[in-house]
Amino acid sequence: MRRADRWTGGRAVSAAGVLAALLLSASPPDRLSAQDSQFGIRGLGTPGRWESVRSRSTGGAFGPFDPLSPLMEASLADIGQLTGTAAGGTSNRDVLVGGTTTSLRATRFPVMGVAGPVARRLAVSVGFTTYLDKSWDVTLRDSFMLRGVLQRYTDEITSDGSVADIRLAAASRLTRRIALGAGLHVLAGSTRMTAERQFDDSTFHRVQQSAEARYDGLGVSGSVLIGLAPGLTIAGWARRDNRLRAKVADTTSAVTDLPLMAGGGVLFAPSPSARLGASVAWRSWSKAGAGAFDTWTWSAGAEFGSRRMPIRLGARGGQMPFGPGTEAPTEVAGSLGTGRAFAQGRALIDLGLERLERRGGGLTERVWTVLVGLTVRP
Amino acid sequence: MIRRRLALVGAVLLVGACVERLAGPGHCPDYCPSGQITVVDTLLTTSINRDSSYRGYVLAYQAAFMLAANLPGATDTLDGRPIFRINGYGPRFRISTVDTSTGPILGADSARLQVSIVRRDTATHNLWLHLYRLPITIDTSTTFGSVVPFTDSLRSVNVDTLLAQPGGKDPVTGDSAVVADTATHRVLVSLKLDTAAARYIATDSGTVAYGIRIAADTLASIAFGKGAFGPSLQWYLRVDSLGMPVARTPGAPLSARLASFVFAPPPAPLDSTLAVGGVPSARSLLRVAFPKVIRDSAQIIRATLFLVPAVAARGAPADSFVIEARSVFADFGAKSPIDLRLSDTTVIHVGATDTVKIEVTNLLQAWAADSTHPTVLVLLPEREAQVFGEIRFYPSVAAAFRPTLQVTFVRRFPFGVP
Repeated sequence: MRRADRWTGGRAVSAAGVLAALLLSASPPDRLSAQDSQFGIRGLGTPGRWESVRSRSTGGAFGPFDPLSPLMEASLADIGQLTGTAAGGTSNRDVLVGGTTTSLRATRFPVMGVAGPVARRLAVSVGFTTYLDKSWDVTLRDSFMLRGVLQRYTDEITSDGSVADIRLAAASRLTRRIALGAGLHVLAGSTRMTAERQFDDSTFHRVQQSAEARYDGLGVSGSVLIGLAPGLTIAGWARRDNRLRAKVADTTSAVTDLPLMAGGGVLFAPSPSARLGASVAWRSWSKAGAGAFDTWTWSAGAEFGSRRMPIRLGARGGQMPFGPGTEAPTEVAGSLGTGRAFAQGRALIDLGLERLERRGGGLTERVWTVLVGLTVRP
Repeated sequence: MIRRRLALVGAVLLVGACVERLAGPGHCPDYCPSGQITVVDTLLTTSINRDSSYRGYVLAYQAAFMLAANLPGATDTLDGRPIFRINGYGPRFRISTVDTSTGPILGADSARLQVSIVRRDTATHNLWLHLYRLPITIDTSTTFGSVVPFTDSLRSVNVDTLLAQPGGKDPVTGDSAVVADTATHRVLVSLKLDTAAARYIATDSGTVAYGIRIAADTLASIAFGKGAFGPSLQWYLRVDSLGMPVARTPGAPLSARLASFVFAPPPAPLDSTLAVGGVPSARSLLRVAFPKVIRDSAQIIRATLFLVPAVAARGAPADSFVIEARSVFADFGAKSPIDLRLSDTTVIHVGATDTVKIEVTNLLQAWAADSTHPTVLVLLPEREAQVFGEIRFYPSVAAAFRPTLQVTFVRRFPFGVP
């Protein structure tokens, strides 16, 4: 290596470290969230995307095969060295409902984790991702008869927080073709909720109530990675969570059953500079109660070029678990991205751009999301 | 180059992270939380019990003002007259300022009496002040009947005429009237008393007592100041100096040692009604059985106390007065210590018989926040014994007209429920 390259690489690692510190410390754990959605207001929330920026840039198709995406454990078997990763994304969301459009904006940090080998055939990972995003803010203008007079008021009900999925995972490559993994999931989080009403008639005092709801639950998961042929790999995974318990002021306010999930994928790498993937997943969200639906999701994507600076693109679609009416809302998205390795591959920055559209029950959401991921291999 | 790119990425990320806009319009019920803010409005018709009235909190001589009125009514005339006593210098006075030698006070050449009108209806026209000399034996127990009629007339001045004079001064009599404070409209009236009116009686130690009767074309109801704005008397004395009478002017005017007022008719005796106001001032206590369902698990957003007058509010027609509802620290009946931190008020118009509404939201919110706080309301005039106004409400024993509370509250929001 030339001297200039070494110098550049060292500075890059330092800068990447600073950026990583910013990413990791910019927000407390209960602000870790994924993509908000109005569809999640009525239900448990908006399920998170258990994908790194690299996977998400391929529509999620590479999720089962990406050791830094907390979707499957078996892919950890090929992690090779200690690796830390974090991701952040800023979304601009247009909500169209009832003939009006509202522009919303949010910044989230959906994935964070550390993984590495601890023995010759064993790798472990610890980290967390968003299980359910529960941040929303609803304002409502209405009126009703009170004391014989039509009283106009403005309501604002907010929820700020999420349920995080804290995962402890282990994986082992049993043979050259087969790797197995398993994970234990602790669901924990909280939301700061407020309900306010301001009457136009100031004789009525402002209604202002607030509470902190805490959530907990447990889950287990298992996965397998099978190499069918050189360059062709398939994956399968399943997960079972028990229930989500909500507590307000140490009193259980709700217990909701959580879904059984299963999925699989295929990855085909015809050459070192081309990788194609696809995946599918099913989740039995209808167990969560009225207004919840079982969902199917699919994704397909590709990555081209060298691992030092690849080009990624993908598409995905499927259903949303919560919504009004009798049919699940749908979503479809397209994404693209790239990455850049620094310092002999010890630091990687991934960038992604996603365009998403959700439809259902008279509501349409269109979202642009800019994603930034940072991976460090010290 | 790479550092610059990284810095750019970091800056974009940080700027993005600092901006969040989550508030969107709710389209209910599909895209609103399942829980809603539930407002309940209830009329507590039987929650106020064991109410009673007490009188005598502030007596006339304890009031901040001296009230004067002359208001003919349908059956009687409201007649209020300030009375005050000013102690003198005694039988002797210093002759010289350089030694302590004194001489007997032979009398007074003249004196100047100043009084302040601190409240006056702007519609009161042609206001006359009639000054009388009173027995110096007047004290805090002096009643209207013991001094009225005033007989020893000293001076009469028309305040409006004086104010219309250049500089507010009458060059003939030496009287004056000026607006001493444009913010409060306090009028300082200065009366010159000649030798006959300004009698300095050494055997009485120079003590004098005066009373004021007022008259006006309409709405003759005013208030005179006390204390710093109370009556003051500047003597111009004649003192014997080795057989020679010499004029001496004391350095500072004397202020009133007693300043009170008498009035008729006296307030009606307390009965079962809930009296508020008057002189001496009356207060009423209302004990509220505050429902636990509201106290423990709701947020009160409005509470209104309804009181039905048993008779029309009495007092000087121009002097509408404010009554306030307060809470107490402990329920000791008439001697309950009042919590001065919070109050809710309403204006009472003399002669009105409409139902009186007092918003008591602040008080009930305080009760809800502190379960140890006695749920007792005290009704009292905002300025006790500073107006003649008094109102009487039906008590809780009058089933059809009893005091009631209308409470609007919000139940606990169902947080944590999907």
